[in-house]
Amino acid sequence: MKLIAAIYEDLVSQIRRVNERYRTPRIQMTPFVKFCLIGLRVYLFTLVGLMLFKFVTLVK
Amino acid sequence: MDFFSKAYYELRRSSKALRLFLAIAGPGIIVMVADNDAGGITTYTTTGAQTGLHLLWFLVLLGPVAYFVQEMTVRLGAVTKRGHAEAIFDSFGAFWGWFSLLDLVITDWLTMITEFIGMTAALSIFHVPAFITVLLAWLIMGGMIMSGRYWTWEKLALGFCVINMIYVPAAFMIHPSVHEILYNSVVPHFPPGGLTNDLFFLLMANIGTTIAPWMLFFQQSSVVDKGMQEKDILYGKIDTAIGALLTVVVAMVLIVVTGKLLFGVQVDDAAAAAVKLMPMSRYIGTFVAIGLFDAGLLGAICISLASSWAFGEVFGWAHSLNNKVREAPWFYAYYVFDLLLAGTVVLIPHAPLVLITLFVQVIATTLLPAALVFLILLLNDEKTMGAYKNNLFENVANIGITLLIIVLSTAYGVTTLFPNLLK
Repeated sequence: MKLIAAIYEDLVSQIRRVNERYRTPRIQMTPFVKFCLIGLRVYLFTLVGLMLFKFVTLVK
Repeated sequence: MDFFSKAYYELRRSSKALRLFLAIAGPGIIVMVADNDAGGITTYTTTGAQTGLHLLWFLVLLGPVAYFVQEMTVRLGAVTKRGHAEAIFDSFGAFWGWFSLLDLVITDWLTMITEFIGMTAALSIFHVPAFITVLLAWLIMGGMIMSGRYWTWEKLALGFCVINMIYVPAAFMIHPSVHEILYNSVVPHFPPGGLTNDLFFLLMANIGTTIAPWMLFFQQSSVVDKGMQEKDILYGKIDTAIGALLTVVVAMVLIVVTGKLLFGVQVDDAAAAAVKLMPMSRYIGTFVAIGLFDAGLLGAICISLASSWAFGEVFGWAHSLNNKVREAPWFYAYYVFDLLLAGTVVLIPHAPLVLITLFVQVIATTLLPAALVFLILLLNDEKTMGAYKNNLFENVANIGITLLIIVLSTAYGVTTLFPNLLK
């Protein structure tokens, strides 16, 4: 149990370190880049939404 | 005298350039040939059986598409000296980084299962039990990385790429009409019956097997691990172009074989095609079965490495094939974990393997447009790429390809989820 807790803590601290290191995006945020990233979010939310809808209808 | 000295100089120069190319070549050829993985071989055999030679021209078009996309990873890797996962984290921040990494891991793991499905199905034709095939694959894949040298791993992988060409003699054995192949390769047309739902699925499956997210991650990390520099970019491009040519040749050859021998026959996967080819020609059936095993193995080798490299880059673990196991324990541990997990799933009785295969296509659909958009943005970032950023021609080609893939892969994803939508 102690081993699992130690592995979990190590993993969480590693993820925190990664989040800290890459907190600020380095790419130049031009209007084109912003537009693409917003478009990507919309695209992904739509597709994930469709997948969830499909899952729910399958379960029903 | 002047002529001879010039000729001698040119000969020496060409010989030096060739040796340099042979030293640098590898990542492009491996990724492109591995692109014809077990799923790819199934797609090509089905395409041939359903449409004959009518879609050869489409495969010819996909060659440049694969080249343009993959060539960008060569430049990005050589200039930034960072793998694709690290480049996304660094440039777009943790949110997009985690999204890409998790999506890659899930897709890669599911695709790995399909590679093992292909390998076990191929050797089952020779009455080899599934668990022996899985053990054999584990041993080969484990053995390849034990040397602790990227060079050794790459040469072994290139050996498997040569075996992948086994389909070429199979095509020659059926003596196809050169005129018919040439006509179908250069004149775009649909098979009799026009563009139907089934044909759309087939076209999308062919696109899906030509460009996959893991290929971007694999080639960029491979370029970095190999230590390619900016001055090597030209050779990296030639390497990628040769790889694209080989992938198209293998795809066309398979379509010719199944299009001539199995046209109109119901073929569900490549292993079934090999079984149906056996009574017509034992050699051709055997070649297709061996090729399918090799394709699954090569795909699994590259896909598991793509994930291991990505994790190593993000978490800061040592992550080079030039490291010994004790020097990069987490990198190799993830590689082995990936292999064991994927291989074990195939051995589970009544595992939902068809559902897994379908799920791979849908999940891969979500990552591919995202991965392509990130790639284009990175290649246009002056701060990252400097003089090696995309020029106008490259942007027109790559943005065009990306937009087309976004539209088509979305349609593919949606119609896979809702098959009755277009009926």
